[in-house]
Amino acid sequence: MTQDLAGRETGAGQEAVVGQDAVAGQDAAGGQDTAAGRDGAAGAQAPGSATRLTSGRLGVVGWLRWGWRQLTSMRTALVLLFLLALASIPGSVLPQQGIDPAAVTQYYAAHPALAPFLARLSAFDVFGAPWFAAIYLLLFTSLAGCVLPRAYRLAKSARQPPPRAPRYLARLPQAAGFRTVQPPDPALAAAAGLLRRRRFRVRTGDGWVSAEKGYLHEIGNLLFHVALLGLLVSVALGGLFGYKGNRLLVEGDTFANTPVGLDVFHPGRLVSAGDLQPFSITLNKFTARYVTSGPQRGQPSWFAAAIRYNSQYDGRLHSYDLRVNHPLIVDGVQVFLIGHGYAPEFKVTDSTGQVKFEQAVPFIPVEQSGLTSAGVIKVPDAQPRQLGFAGVFLPTQIDVGGRLASAFPAADYPRVSLVSYAGNLGLNSGQPQSVYNLDTSRMRRLAVSPRPLAPGQSIVLPHGLGKLTFTGYRQWVSLAVTYDPGQVPALVSALAALAGLILSFLVRRRRIFVRAVPAGEADDEADARAAAGGATYVEVAGLTRSDAAGGFETEFAELSSEIMQEVRAAAAAAGQPGGVAAAAGPKGE
Amino acid sequence: MTRPQSSARYFAGTARVLSALAARPRAVRALLAGPRAVRAILAGTAVLALASCSGGAIAQNTPVSSGKSYVSGSYSSTYYGPGSRPAAPAVSGTTLTGSKFTLSADRGSLVVLNFWGSWCAPCRNEAPALAALATHFKSDPVRFVGDDVHDSTASAQAFEHTFNVGYPSLNDPGEQVALAFHGTVPPVAIPTTLLIDRTGHIAGRIVGGVSYRGLLALINKILAERS
Repeated sequence: MTQDLAGRETGAGQEAVVGQDAVAGQDAAGGQDTAAGRDGAAGAQAPGSATRLTSGRLGVVGWLRWGWRQLTSMRTALVLLFLLALASIPGSVLPQQGIDPAAVTQYYAAHPALAPFLARLSAFDVFGAPWFAAIYLLLFTSLAGCVLPRAYRLAKSARQPPPRAPRYLARLPQAAGFRTVQPPDPALAAAAGLLRRRRFRVRTGDGWVSAEKGYLHEIGNLLFHVALLGLLVSVALGGLFGYKGNRLLVEGDTFANTPVGLDVFHPGRLVSAGDLQPFSITLNKFTARYVTSGPQRGQPSWFAAAIRYNSQYDGRLHSYDLRVNHPLIVDGVQVFLIGHGYAPEFKVTDSTGQVKFEQAVPFIPVEQSGLTSAGVIKVPDAQPRQLGFAGVFLPTQIDVGGRLASAFPAADYPRVSLVSYAGNLGLNSGQPQSVYNLDTSRMRRLAVSPRPLAPGQSIVLPHGLGKLTFTGYRQWVSLAVTYDPGQVPALVSALAALAGLILSFLVRRRRIFVRAVPAGEADDEADARAAAGGATYVEVAGLTRSDAAGGFETEFAELSSEIMQEVRAAAAAAGQPGGVAAAAGPKGE
Repeated sequence: MTRPQSSARYFAGTARVLSALAARPRAVRALLAGPRAVRAILAGTAVLALASCSGGAIAQNTPVSSGKSYVSGSYSSTYYGPGSRPAAPAVSGTTLTGSKFTLSADRGSLVVLNFWGSWCAPCRNEAPALAALATHFKSDPVRFVGDDVHDSTASAQAFEHTFNVGYPSLNDPGEQVALAFHGTVPPVAIPTTLLIDRTGHIAGRIVGGVSYRGLLALINKILAERS
């Protein structure tokens, strides 16, 4: 009985209940039926303590079992969780490769001695570091090892029939008794009928009825545990099969969701290039509005990217307005608008007079109030020398004491200012380089003034090296492509865990026991009459294991009086007057 | 009596776990949604790290590679045996010079399909080898075709002029040809070179810049299969 009642409970005052129950259980006729199969935890506890005593003679299996028990203990899980939190601190303090590689480069420049050491510790890629993976894999194992056996035990317990009624019901925390002229069996049948109508699970035996209700408590508990597992699996799903990528897209351009089409691609462990959902997105037009006056001047007030995309499901083209917090969901993949900027267009001819470059070049904003943007132009196929340009795009150019600046983020007075170089871009060696960096180590700066160019204006390079024309500008957006198959399961699991927790707190599991015995002695006139008529003494007792929500006392009082009335009614129907002779209140009154 | 205690501790523990998770959103984010955390950080700032060569290119000019992204230059060459070759998709489009091209028209020849861009350093490095091999196999049933992705026509034509590329290239600024290979053997970086056999099945893939000898050996191996 003790084992049966324990092990699943949370409520305060549980010790008291279990204590009471233990007393009852010792004497209970049915005590033995619980001792057998269900004391999994008690059984499991024994070898654990034995381990501590005899650890000197533990075999390999013993040590493995000990290790497993340590790993799956809640204390270990908490320590691991704390470690996980601790381990993610460097991820927020130090620049991360996957998030901001430029900042990592800057860190290298600022701390040339420390940075390589930190890199060896994966401090610039914390969330991909082996030690980080070790922590969360251990945590995963710990939680799974804790939750799975518990879920199994809970499932078993939820299917368990009520135990036999204890012999001495008066010792239970809630007890009442009354006499009736009904013989024991019909009285018990009437009580069992009532309890069944009250949706108790009823078990009957020789001279007793045992009923139990509130299995939803166990179901809630089970749901919580299974949902925890579901949460773990969802997280794993996202990590294994999800991916994320970024793409900068200029107005009028199209990109395809392939590793080739994405500028940055971080696949999950089990994602291969062929797994990406095959959609394409074309940026028609990007529109931004900015606050034009007041202290907020220059702040963006509204963005929208008008895009066209095709989905693999219908193969047709759709139009969509991509806005901040209004992502596109295509084939289960989320596409977010995360940035924007300007891409001035240039045309470069070389010494031969042929056009060697003609395209929009994305410039990256270096400040937000005027959207001053920096960028480079590389013309690797210019003859006789490769040409390079580095400079800024100023959406609304002003002159602040001889320095160029941008006064407003909208392109009201767009100008570019470029420094020109000729020489070797270092591209033909095959060493990959960023399109946003110009390696000028093997180039010569040309004697051309970096005076601001208006659209349509040109720089004519000295020595007949060529000519660059600023032909106009377009805008670009930066898109984040995210696929996380674990997202919906994680949400469902979290909600289920919450529902299970609430259920297990609100519903209490409670038992009602009824025993009926022929009345032994008569101590007053009515009883004497009843005894003469073959009267019966009916005992009702109640037991709950978790009364977190309270109110079992009231429920028991109502139920016991209903049982009394039911038995009396049955007696009256059977033509036996004075069905109930006396009733005693709950114990302790 | 041991069991009620341990179970109470268990549940108190569970509650503590939940509250700990609630108190440490960073840990939860790290657990649940790496991508989301990243996005949140990215959202505020402009994305500096963008295209150079291949997907995942940002790692290239920075000292440490994340090790996760497909970094071009990580060369790999794969040969698929005759029994295990996925069929190449139907590919057609317009070349840089404006003429029509259909891949299936070259059925009967070995097709070397090279994905490239004029901005991509490894592509510039492998271009002489490809041009030389195209000349070398001029009289054999081998066709060279390029697919110029993420590029402008003017720059691409200047590239072809520089390296004397004698074979046609599809004009593919939106990576639609690369997309067509979804579910087969897709290009995973720029450059990627696919070898499509006489029956239109993908027989080999080289990720990263090709070498003259490496590609020559692979072509000869596939050509020799007939005999």
